[in-house]
Amino acid sequence: MTKYDDGPVKVMLYPAILFMILGMFFGVFIAFNGLVFPDYFAGEYVHFGKVRPVHVNTVLWLWLISANIGLFYFFVPRLCGVSIWNPKLAYSQAFLWWGGLIIGIYSLPAGTNFGWEYAEFPNWVWLIPTKMMVTISFILLAVNVFMTIGMRKNKKLYVSLWYVMGTMVWAIFTWVAGVYAINYVPGGISRVNVSFFYVHNVVGLIFTPMGLAIVYYFLPKISNRPIYSHRLSMIGFWSIAFVYAWIGAHHIIHGPISQWLQTVSIIFSIWLFIPVWTVVTNLFATLKNDWSAYVQNVPIRFLIMGVMFYLLTCIQGPLMAVRNINEITSKTDWVIGHSHISLYATFTFFAIAGIYHVIPIITRKPLWSESLANLHFSLNILGSIPFLAALWVGGFWQGLLWSTWANGNTYAEFHHNLSVLPFINTVSDMHVFWIWRGIGGIIILLANIIFVVNIFNTIILKTEDRDDLKLVSNL
Amino acid sequence: MINWYNIEKSALITFVGIVLLFSFSTAIVVIAPRHIDPTWTEPTSRYQVQMYEIADPNIYIGNPVNGGYDLQFVYHLKDQFTLLAFEESEFTKIMAPDDLKKYVTAYKDPVLKLTANLNLLRKPEKEMLTKSEELKKQFQAEWIANHPNWKDEKLLIPNFEIYELYKPLESFAFSVGIPETIVNEWVDSNFEIIGSEDTEIKIPYHSEPGVIFVKNPIEYKISYYNYAGGRGWHYDPNGDAIKDLNELVGEKLQFHSRKDLIENGENIYKSEGCWYCHTDQTRTLIQDTVLNGSESFPAPPSSANEYIYQEVSFPGTRRIGPDVSRVGIKQPSRDWHRGHFWSPKTASVGSVMPSFQHFFDTDPRGTSKNNAGIPNYKFEAIYQYLMTKGTRITPPNQAWWLGKDPVNTLEIIEGRRRGQK
Repeated sequence: MTKYDDGPVKVMLYPAILFMILGMFFGVFIAFNGLVFPDYFAGEYVHFGKVRPVHVNTVLWLWLISANIGLFYFFVPRLCGVSIWNPKLAYSQAFLWWGGLIIGIYSLPAGTNFGWEYAEFPNWVWLIPTKMMVTISFILLAVNVFMTIGMRKNKKLYVSLWYVMGTMVWAIFTWVAGVYAINYVPGGISRVNVSFFYVHNVVGLIFTPMGLAIVYYFLPKISNRPIYSHRLSMIGFWSIAFVYAWIGAHHIIHGPISQWLQTVSIIFSIWLFIPVWTVVTNLFATLKNDWSAYVQNVPIRFLIMGVMFYLLTCIQGPLMAVRNINEITSKTDWVIGHSHISLYATFTFFAIAGIYHVIPIITRKPLWSESLANLHFSLNILGSIPFLAALWVGGFWQGLLWSTWANGNTYAEFHHNLSVLPFINTVSDMHVFWIWRGIGGIIILLANIIFVVNIFNTIILKTEDRDDLKLVSNL
Repeated sequence: MINWYNIEKSALITFVGIVLLFSFSTAIVVIAPRHIDPTWTEPTSRYQVQMYEIADPNIYIGNPVNGGYDLQFVYHLKDQFTLLAFEESEFTKIMAPDDLKKYVTAYKDPVLKLTANLNLLRKPEKEMLTKSEELKKQFQAEWIANHPNWKDEKLLIPNFEIYELYKPLESFAFSVGIPETIVNEWVDSNFEIIGSEDTEIKIPYHSEPGVIFVKNPIEYKISYYNYAGGRGWHYDPNGDAIKDLNELVGEKLQFHSRKDLIENGENIYKSEGCWYCHTDQTRTLIQDTVLNGSESFPAPPSSANEYIYQEVSFPGTRRIGPDVSRVGIKQPSRDWHRGHFWSPKTASVGSVMPSFQHFFDTDPRGTSKNNAGIPNYKFEAIYQYLMTKGTRITPPNQAWWLGKDPVNTLEIIEGRRRGQK
């Protein structure tokens, strides 16, 4: 049996789990300090505009992508039947990754914002080339992954490996376009276009294939059932590759960007139904004849709920791109809800499921508490509902309020509506929804603190302290 | 060793396929649009070009006692570069030596005379003073002759302003700017540029059918004084002229060009994260044109060429605060912005905007009667940046807020509504 080196998994996963809590804490902080009790803690470094990018970048880069890379280091060697090609390369990758990201992201309150969404952290912090460190880190990761796959013993390339290889290529392309190439296109809408291309590809061509690689590996693995259809997963893969790169401009529908480009992005957004339905069908069909696994197993519950939310987010996405629905939902909290359902309720759920499965294996100890894991799942769902529902209902409501200005026959009538309903009233009407969002956020934060405690105890407590210990076979 | 034979055909196809697909779309996004749609890179308004390239770098803004109330605006005039107009009005008259008379546009003259030759106006001095007094009496006598019933109509005899046109020694000068102007003097018909034949070659914009110019420049002078805390300065018509640009932007006076302030403002907008809560686009939706429109007229939707002078653009994704793309017209008051940045929640009730008190200094002399702080350069920068929004789409004489309609907004939105019924 092959002996796998799990050091790289640990150096990526352990810090990522802590950054999840930190990122969620920043999220709860701005939910309250920004919106529920606006500006309660006031000042140059703690106001909403400074903390929001810290929250977004922490959960995006320091938690989600880092955790996903950790899981890659776990299952890519196992799918290939060989240990990771070069552990030292992986450690250098982790070092550059954490160094660049931590320094870059936590310099944001000092005013180093790069100005483009999801790429906010700066090129340089003092003499440290933070973005270059992350770039090199991406390349080292890709080299390591491709070499491992090149040396594999298992001949068949499982679909997860397709997604992993795709992610490696897309991540580097997307990153280079959004972080470097954007400086070399003319200022103005050309840059906005590149930025939205980048923003959507971070989600569509990094998070999505990473998340799907994980769910395609862990769902059959944990439930011990073969994947329903290999062919369906191929259709999903290629339609993602074909569709996602074209939909960036749907972030600026009705905006100052050329109409034909908006139309192109809308058409491709609607095509997104193809990859989503194939993926969802495939994953549900895998469990089709045996749902007992769902009841008995926390990671499977996270995976399946993640797939449910994935279905939901991908129904929303194409619909939000349609011009007249966009007129209501765009620029409201609906959008914030949509980004949370995909990055939190879908891909974070997938990563959590993966961690629940991976930690006992790499530490060779069973999970510290199954009942805490159950509680973690229940609280996560309980928190997600007020959180997401408040954003959707509030956002849609605000969008409807705004559209009442466009009521009437003459401009005078339109403008009269503005005196009946000034903009500021549509903001203060959101307060009750923001309270519910904050409550949901607190529940989610609590749930994940339980998760971290559980994982931490699993890792830290010695075997002799654990009378429940059962030896886990080396997978 | 790598067993390369393990790389089967399907893996190779995967790799080549995604690289091809994705690099194709990257190329399209990065390269193509600006070649397909020229509005992405080219301005549509000559006014916009000249505002950004001619006016902004040559308007300097400064602050004498960190006070903020008497913010100073100074034009940097350059010989054979800045276009000047010397225009008389009903009560403003210009005395000029014979060789400079051709530059003066008389009252009610339909053609505005512009020149790139540097000349300035000043209050008459010494022997010219007596001459000007005579002229003034002469004008007043004329006025009385034209208004025989002025006492019955309860009119006052106007106090005619008399200026003297002269040629300064240097090839540059600093003139008094009009405070807090967000639009510049602009003329696009009935004007002629006189007195410099080779100007067109040197300064290409002079040949365009519309030009920005400086009207009736008077030299900017200051004098220094001592106070408890140190040495201060203030605007003084009888003081000393400014020697050169280095003095203006130097340690003592600390003026900044409007261009620098706008760029700085963009950086502040970026690093403070304003763009997470404010959008910078009037969408092609009735609700947006109404939200940003004036009482009687809708705002034109944002077009791509409004953004071409920006390093980073912030069309935005969320409106927790109102859209800023027309704020230069909707809310031009500097005093309002001071109060609002200091304490947004009191300035507009219901707002969730954080206060930006780090845009203000504490009052160094303790003499400010205002309970808000004194704006520092950060405030001036963000204010100047915001004032570019919506003010540069078209020349001021075609401006949408005056009811001119560059893109037929009104027709479209009202027509569409009626069509629906």
